[in-house]
Amino acid sequence: MKPDLRRSFAVAWLGLAVVLTTLAPRLTSHSVGQPVGAPLAPASSSLPLGGDELGRDLWTRLLYGGRASLGASILAAGLTVALGSLVGLLAALAGRWIHGLIVLVVNAALAIPGLLLALLLVAGLGPGFPTIVLAVGLGGVAGFARLARQAFLQGQTASYIAAASALGAGRTRVALAHLIPNARPLLVPLAATYYAWSLLGTTTLTFLGLGGDPTNPEWGSMLNAGRLYLQEAPHLVLLPGLAIALTILSVHSLASARARSFPDRPV
Amino acid sequence: MVSPPDRPRTRLLTVVLRRALSALGTLWAAVTLAFFALRIAGGDPTHSLLAQGLASPEQVAALRSHLGLDDSLTTQYVHYLGDLIQGDLGESLYTGRNVTAVIGEQLPPSLQLALSAFVVSLILGLSLGLASGWYPRRVVGRVADALSALATGLPVAIVGLIAILAAAYLSRMFLPALALTRAGGLVLPSLTLGFGASGALARAIQAGLLETSAAPYLVAARARGIARGARLMWHALRPVLPLAVSLSALQAAFLLSGTVVTETVFSRPGLGRLLVSAILDGDYPVVQGLVVLGAAVYTLTHSVAEVIASHLDPRLRDAEA
Repeated sequence: MKPDLRRSFAVAWLGLAVVLTTLAPRLTSHSVGQPVGAPLAPASSSLPLGGDELGRDLWTRLLYGGRASLGASILAAGLTVALGSLVGLLAALAGRWIHGLIVLVVNAALAIPGLLLALLLVAGLGPGFPTIVLAVGLGGVAGFARLARQAFLQGQTASYIAAASALGAGRTRVALAHLIPNARPLLVPLAATYYAWSLLGTTTLTFLGLGGDPTNPEWGSMLNAGRLYLQEAPHLVLLPGLAIALTILSVHSLASARARSFPDRPV
Repeated sequence: MVSPPDRPRTRLLTVVLRRALSALGTLWAAVTLAFFALRIAGGDPTHSLLAQGLASPEQVAALRSHLGLDDSLTTQYVHYLGDLIQGDLGESLYTGRNVTAVIGEQLPPSLQLALSAFVVSLILGLSLGLASGWYPRRVVGRVADALSALATGLPVAIVGLIAILAAAYLSRMFLPALALTRAGGLVLPSLTLGFGASGALARAIQAGLLETSAAPYLVAARARGIARGARLMWHALRPVLPLAVSLSALQAAFLLSGTVVTETVFSRPGLGRLLVSAILDGDYPVVQGLVVLGAAVYTLTHSVAEVIASHLDPRLRDAEA
């Protein structure tokens, strides 16, 4: 597929997903948790995609599941990006001791594969959906911080930073007015990549059954529940699976497109 | 920069020793992080036993003193490190069994899965990377490019479920004798996990080949009349290999996390299932032991990969000196 076409598909899917999940209460009148038909009921006029394994409306659960998955992954990625940038900025600006300490902690966290780190945090905080958001968000901080630090350090050697310092700008002013804006072209695609990572992380943890109450739909836990009916009703797995896969692939292709649209700048 | 020819080369032993020391340091830091993160986030691990009515307050008190939970966090930490050096990961809160023994029992199926997936990922990653990097405009290259994008992007759980569906369809339609979905089989799980792990390798080889195939020395090799296959093997691929080897450490991280998911998808026994059930039970010594094991395996692979990469690439070797 041509890159342009791929990007249009990505934008279209993400737009559709956001609109559908935002308008979920207007697009369905069924309850999320109550059965409205027979288990694995075929599609009908009242149940556009049929029923799930307990006879709940699949369309309703996909919409609300998307709300949960997309919302959770945005929150988790927001946490990663905010904390990671902060730690990265501190590491780039701080003196030797703080820098050394941050590098030590970040390297320690990076020695534990990301998903295992998130699983460790879930174990500490106890299973449940809010926990998963927190665990996935914190699980990505070390990786993001390391790359963010590189982005900030790259900017720090630029002559406009030296010029700003010579003109009497303090560290905070340099950071806010120069370092952060100039690191943005590097940080934005990175943040997008981490968004995809967050969605992958949250849906994986809920797929593993760590998301708490299964009455509340979520794409990852729907995948897990449908797994037992794979032969009779593959669409229970394929539809949420497709939604997760399309979202992740779309974000990936947009992130790399964005990275390409910011070639190495002269400064 | 070209190093002067009379400069003494960094010896392999020096590289290995330096790597081993820094790996030990990293591992210690990771163990410390895991210990304190779990304690600070988790609070009292015996609360869940009490809350679930699995133990009376007296039993919990006895368990606490047995596990040393009444000591200060620092004392517990020192004890934990001391035991860890002797290979003792503590006792399970639920079964009271030694965590090292529990992990040892569940290790073989996971190891089998991870190793066979690693072989699959090497074969797939190498072929996808070669095809898409060396023939970027042909159909085979484009297909390989799309496949490696899928391998990088698709969650393991989804790949696994699609693999089960596809295998069921195939064996119903064409190959009833093959029985790909047989319980306990290794084919589908290792293909699934290996496909996911091959993405990064394929991407790295592709990017490296695209870069080297435009390099002047390749034009020179072509001008000298060296055949296309030989150019690929001896000129284009050689500079790409060290990076690919370093990347296999990333693959190890992926295999460790991916094993957890793959085992759930295919209902296989193993360390991943052990980890998930320990998390659900709040059995923190088991969780901690598994995470420490994961960090150790990852750090070890990472170090070995770095040593091999520096052996393959003299530039890396001298840069470390």
